[in-house]
Amino acid sequence: MITRRAAAQLLASTAAAAALGAGPAAAAADKTVVVGVHLPLTGADAQSATLILHGAQLAFDQANDSNAVPGYTFKVKVFDNATATAGQYDPAQAATNARKMVSDPHLVAAIGPEMSGDGKAQAPILSQGDLATITPASTNPDITNPRFAAEFMPAGKAIYFRTVTTDAYQGPEMTMFFSKKLGVKSVYILDDSGAYGVGLADAFEAQAKKIGMKVMGRDRLDPKNSDYSTTLTKIKSINPQALYYGGVDQAGVKLVKQSYQIIPKMIKGGGDGMYAPDILTAAGFPAAEGWYATIAAPHLVGEKQAQGVIQAYTSKYGVEPSDYALTAYDGGLIIIGAVKTLVAEKKPITKATMRDAIGASKTPTLQGVVQFDKNGDMLSHTVSVYQIREDKSKPLSDMIAQYHYLGSAPEA
Amino acid sequence: MTFSSLLLQQTINGLSLGAMYALLALGFTLIYGILELINFAHFNVFMIGSFVALWVLQGFGLSGQAIVLTGLPLVGVLVAAFAVTMGGCGLLGVAIERVTLRPLRNVTGPAAMITTIGVSYILFNIVLLITSAQTMNFPNPLPPLQWNVGGAVVTLQELLIWGVAPILMLGLWAFVQKSRLGKAMRATAQDPEAARMMGVEVDKVVMTAFFLGSALAGAGGMIFGLYYNFTSFLIGFTAGLRAFTAAVLGGIGNVPGAMVGGILIGLIEAYSGQFIATEWADVIIFSILVLVLVFRPSGLFGRVAPTKS
Repeated sequence: MITRRAAAQLLASTAAAAALGAGPAAAAADKTVVVGVHLPLTGADAQSATLILHGAQLAFDQANDSNAVPGYTFKVKVFDNATATAGQYDPAQAATNARKMVSDPHLVAAIGPEMSGDGKAQAPILSQGDLATITPASTNPDITNPRFAAEFMPAGKAIYFRTVTTDAYQGPEMTMFFSKKLGVKSVYILDDSGAYGVGLADAFEAQAKKIGMKVMGRDRLDPKNSDYSTTLTKIKSINPQALYYGGVDQAGVKLVKQSYQIIPKMIKGGGDGMYAPDILTAAGFPAAEGWYATIAAPHLVGEKQAQGVIQAYTSKYGVEPSDYALTAYDGGLIIIGAVKTLVAEKKPITKATMRDAIGASKTPTLQGVVQFDKNGDMLSHTVSVYQIREDKSKPLSDMIAQYHYLGSAPEA
Repeated sequence: MTFSSLLLQQTINGLSLGAMYALLALGFTLIYGILELINFAHFNVFMIGSFVALWVLQGFGLSGQAIVLTGLPLVGVLVAAFAVTMGGCGLLGVAIERVTLRPLRNVTGPAAMITTIGVSYILFNIVLLITSAQTMNFPNPLPPLQWNVGGAVVTLQELLIWGVAPILMLGLWAFVQKSRLGKAMRATAQDPEAARMMGVEVDKVVMTAFFLGSALAGAGGMIFGLYYNFTSFLIGFTAGLRAFTAAVLGGIGNVPGAMVGGILIGLIEAYSGQFIATEWADVIIFSILVLVLVFRPSGLFGRVAPTKS
């Protein structure tokens, strides 16, 4: 008969064994490498974040299936960077998750966040905790800018790596696209008051002023407000040639709907915040028709070398990946590569060794060989431009069908 | 756009917003008038109203903006959707009262108000779970008609708001002023103890107030969906807080005050967005809330509180 105390002891020892990553029966099995994936999986950002989550998951599943690093199994631990109260990404929750990841002894690297507002809250914690994260989507340049190192990199070493470029390129290159390809001479600029949106709009505005494009005004949208008709009426009365919006889809969906009512003919564009399935499903057509959007990466879903991965993704999850799902896959490849390097060099796999290995890595990925500068930014910086045009033969949420790739943006 | 047509357009925008705030403000005012309770669950009853309307319209086979109805089918669908939405939300309001508030009726202090905050979050999270937090595309069966008036544009949706909201508000006002139950409501508001002694069934009065207030919030939710063509679990808080400000501005507990307060807040939002900056609209609206509470707590129309012990 098992007494209550004996049962408790048994439970405790099992839990301890499980925590070490090896139960008694699996003592001889693979060592487990735990990777945190932290994304805004609740609220307005959930759809795009789920696509990204699956991209990262796929990289590790494939590595496990093909035994990419013999003797090691990868395990993904998911963290939600959004809260219901915020309705979208929530920097306070992201900071909490960063603390959880840093204090988890088995977790040695991470993928995320999607949102720069989350990244700004996390970077100082990750830096102190030596934990490297690879963001497949967050583009605010401040986080990796040496000027702000005291704030975001207090421990001195790069921990915030990206498989996308930053808004220091995304904003200005879109200004050049507006000017050179669309002939825009006057513009009104909006942002959604988030870290990403404000930074992107600022970068667009600075470049516009530099090249002599007339900035007719700038306003800020509250993403929790429902009615933007006041602002849009004001823009209509000022009558610029184009509208540029820096921000994510929570305000973006409403902006698309209401701008179609009030300023239907104006040229309208945004950044990678507007490259999201919500824009297609919640705002829908005809409102979304004609909007321009960019991503801070090469157009991967069109690349030949990505087709195998796209097929695997589509058959596994039932939807086509977004480009940022593939940059997340790239992030996974870089982490797997770093583990491989450490194993080959017979070094221990810890947060600090992983951080150094990722920083020094030159990993072949879907977008070619990725290499980082000393701040964690990618050496290449391609920005791709899309226009939304309805393809009635495909489902509304099919991003590959509804976002038409127009080419990479002109350099600023 | 000339200045005058711009001003006209912003007035149109403001009146549409204001009508919606007024419908919501009435619910706050009705319940406050009778129970002296600020019912924060009201925010999300409004939100649920928009979802009930969404499901009803989807039940009629409408989705997205693809299907447009005219004539009798349009009127029929709208009337049916309003009826189900208002009835459903009214019953939800009654259920909230019966289950969570009646047991606290005789508890003094803020317990009941805090309970309504809790209920508000429960409703919010239920919808969050059901919809997995997606922003939903709201069907719009109205034909895309619009008219040019003095350089400004008026849409059919706006006319619908300006038609439906006053009818509902006048109906409520007439009910409160003329019907027996309305008289009982006013009596209870003035002095519940005396009303009870005169044979007024206070429970019935309170239930009626919750039913009517919540039904109006439901109508507001449906109008919101038709006007903006989207809904999400998030829409309750911003609209609810502004409507609450409208109720305070008009004099909480005062039915005509809530209507005027709602319209004023809508206009203030539109004008401050035009002439100051969008990001200042909330600062201005909530400054008004604070100023009214400090300098004229009874609001624009409120009497100095009738003696209530």
